[in-house]
This record gives sequence, structure tokens and C-alpha cells, in this order.
Amino acid sequence: MTSESFTQLVDAHYAPLYRFALSLARNGSDAGDLVQQTFFIWATKGHGIRELSKAKSWLFTTLYREFLRGRRRDARSTSLEELPPGENEPLAHDVDRVSRIDSAAVMSALHSVEEPFRAPLSLFYIEDMSYQEIADALDVPIGTVMSRLSRGKAQLRAAFLRAETPVAKVLPFPGEGGARAS
Amino acid sequence: MTIEEARFILCAYRPNGSDAGLPAFGDALRMAAADPAVGEWFARSRAFDAAVAGRLRQIEPPAGLREAILAGARASGQQRSLGRGWAWAAGMAAAAALAFVVFSMKTPARPEPGAASFAAFAISDMANAKHGGRGVPAGALVAALEANGARMPGPGQIDFDSLKETGCRTISFAGRDVLEVCFSRDGALFHLYVARREGPPGDSADNGASFISEAAGAAAVWSDSRFDYAVASKAGVEAIRRLL
Repeated sequence: MTSESFTQLVDAHYAPLYRFALSLARNGSDAGDLVQQTFFIWATKGHGIRELSKAKSWLFTTLYREFLRGRRRDARSTSLEELPPGENEPLAHDVDRVSRIDSAAVMSALHSVEEPFRAPLSLFYIEDMSYQEIADALDVPIGTVMSRLSRGKAQLRAAFLRAETPVAKVLPFPGEGGARAS
Repeated sequence: MTIEEARFILCAYRPNGSDAGLPAFGDALRMAAADPAVGEWFARSRAFDAAVAGRLRQIEPPAGLREAILAGARASGQQRSLGRGWAWAAGMAAAAALAFVVFSMKTPARPEPGAASFAAFAISDMANAKHGGRGVPAGALVAALEANGARMPGPGQIDFDSLKETGCRTISFAGRDVLEVCFSRDGALFHLYVARREGPPGDSADNGASFISEAAGAAAVWSDSRFDYAVASKAGVEAIRRLL
């Protein structure tokens, strides 16, 4: 691959890769390192991918594998089988909540989704991947992708609700001359 | 197909409608069209997904990440060229056909990938970026670096937080803050880059310096227990070596 082609590849994918990495790693420093490492592997392996249409999937798959490889296994993590089923009931005010907050707050809510659900959810939202593309990138069956998207969205809505709850508990001070929240 | 099954499948339906023709969604979409309750749920679900996706796509990568990726790739290209061994590289250099040389003070080995990326980043920043900083600590550091015969600073001589907070030029490399100061020695201009080490103390620390030389300039990189360092200059490897 020529230097110009590599630059084009970086320009096309580094931003969505960073967003995906940020959703996984939950901090910008580790996310930047993951993206760099992914392109470093591409550059050093001189792999045989000639079709650039396949490069996107390769990059996301490699980044996810690098994330899993570097992640410390948490003994306290809950197995998927123990998790409760998702609640598939988006309410009208779920959309309002998202519209009221900025992108950093949305990413923060995404960070609270458990990792097995967060990875497919991130690819769905950030890179607009189909369920088949997500299955390929994460190397999981299609049915698992659908299940994790369903549960992940339920966790995300719950995170938005939790984030809003403290605000909802602040009641206006009655009467004239009352204290105002700043 | 039950309503719950339809909802389950439609959770994977992308909000931009690009899945409309996929057979996997056919029955669920028909149910959403025929059943007002499912249709209403589906509309809310898509609106929620579109709102989340829109917000997440507004997040921008940190400044400098693109340049760091490209610099790292250049360095890896240099490493591949050295994969046949130092003798091969030296022979190529002697034949004046080698555009770059990578070697180490301790051993004629190539630098590790992270060090090579950092060196390439330093050369790129030196050659392409605007420089300038301020602050008393930065001035004191520059004065120390410009003293005749002075060695490069060690961990006890860098107060990273103080330098950063008082206006020393700070840039980003792979998500890490990097301090940069410019100094002169023997008529040549040098740039010192300092980043906090991310590994545990002592992990591959106190490495001997490794050098990279490119058309745009040369750089040396090394580490101690607290920091990763790079010095870049257009004056070449030998000028940098005399600083260390």
C-alpha cells in the first residue's frame, strides 16, 4: 500500500475507530492508543487485504481484539446468562432526553452499558453497521448480535434515566425571593 | 411472529432505513405496518436510535491523533526496512541508497514500536508545527538545556505539572500530553519532548537512546523511570548524540 493510500485509509476511518475505541476503553488516552495500535498492526503486517471495502471491517475487528487482549479480566464480571432480559420499550421522552444532552453525556451513558452489549451497540450507532457486519466484526452469531443490541439499548435507556434522576429531584423553591438554582 | 419477537428483531434495524430490503426484517416490518401499537413503538425506537447515533457521531478525535498514526506508520515502515539486520542497513547506507537509519547507542537494534512512533512524532512536530511556549519553569528548563556541556534532564529535573500549568507548550501524542521546549546548543536548534511513562515504574525504563533519521530531521528517544523523552533536530544524529 502506498503512503497516499494509507493516508486515505486513516482519513476515512480514524475518527469512527476512535469513537468505537472510546466507547470500549472509556477514556480518551486508551482510545487513542487503541486506534494507533490498530493502524500500526495494519502498517507492520503488510497484510494481504487488497480490497479497501474489506479494510473497514478488518480495522474494527482488529481494534476490538486489541481491546479484549489488553483488558484485564474482571473476576467480578457478570456472565451474560445472569443478566436480566432487556426492556424494549422506548418512551417518547427517551428521545427528548437524548436531545437535551450533549455528545459527551451520551457517550458517558454508553460507557455504563456492560461491555458485551456496548461493543455491538457502538458499532450500530457510531458506524451504522448492519447486524451482519457487527456479527462479522465481533465474530459472534447473528442471533447474539440481535440479543445484545436489544439488551444494550435497554441498558442505555436506563442510563439516561439514571443520569436525569438527580435533576428531577431538585424542586423549585416556592414563593417570591426564594433561592434560585444556578 | 409475536409482537415481542418483532420488537426483538426490529432492535437491530438501522434508523436510516438501509435495512428495509433485508429479508430478515420482512415479517417484523409487516407487523409494524399492520399493528398500530408496534408501529408506534417502532417509530419511537428509530427516533431514539437516530438521536443517539447523531450525538455519538459528533465526538471528534483528539487533535494530533491523525498525525501520530501517520508518523507511527512511517516509523514502522522504517523498521520493516531494517528487518534484515543492521549489517544490511549499514550496507545500504554505505551505498547511499538508504533514506533513513535507525540504530541504538547500546546495541544496533531497532527501537521498540512505541519508541519509533514517538521519535517519528517528534520529527514531524519539529518540521511541521508552530512552536512556542511560556512560563518561568519552561524558561529555566531551556536555560539548563542550553548550558554548555549540560546533559539531557533526568526525572528529578522535570516538574511535568508545573511546566504544563505555567504555559509550556503541550501537545498530544496517542492521547498523552507531551511537553515541548526548543533550545540551542553549538549553533543548532533542538526540540525536547517529554511524556509521562505509562508502564509501571521501572518497566523497560532507563533504556538506552535509539535514533531515527529521516529526510526532515533526526531524533533520539529514551526513557527513565518516569518519562519518555525525544530530542529532535535538523542538525542530524551526531549533533543529537553529543547532547546525551
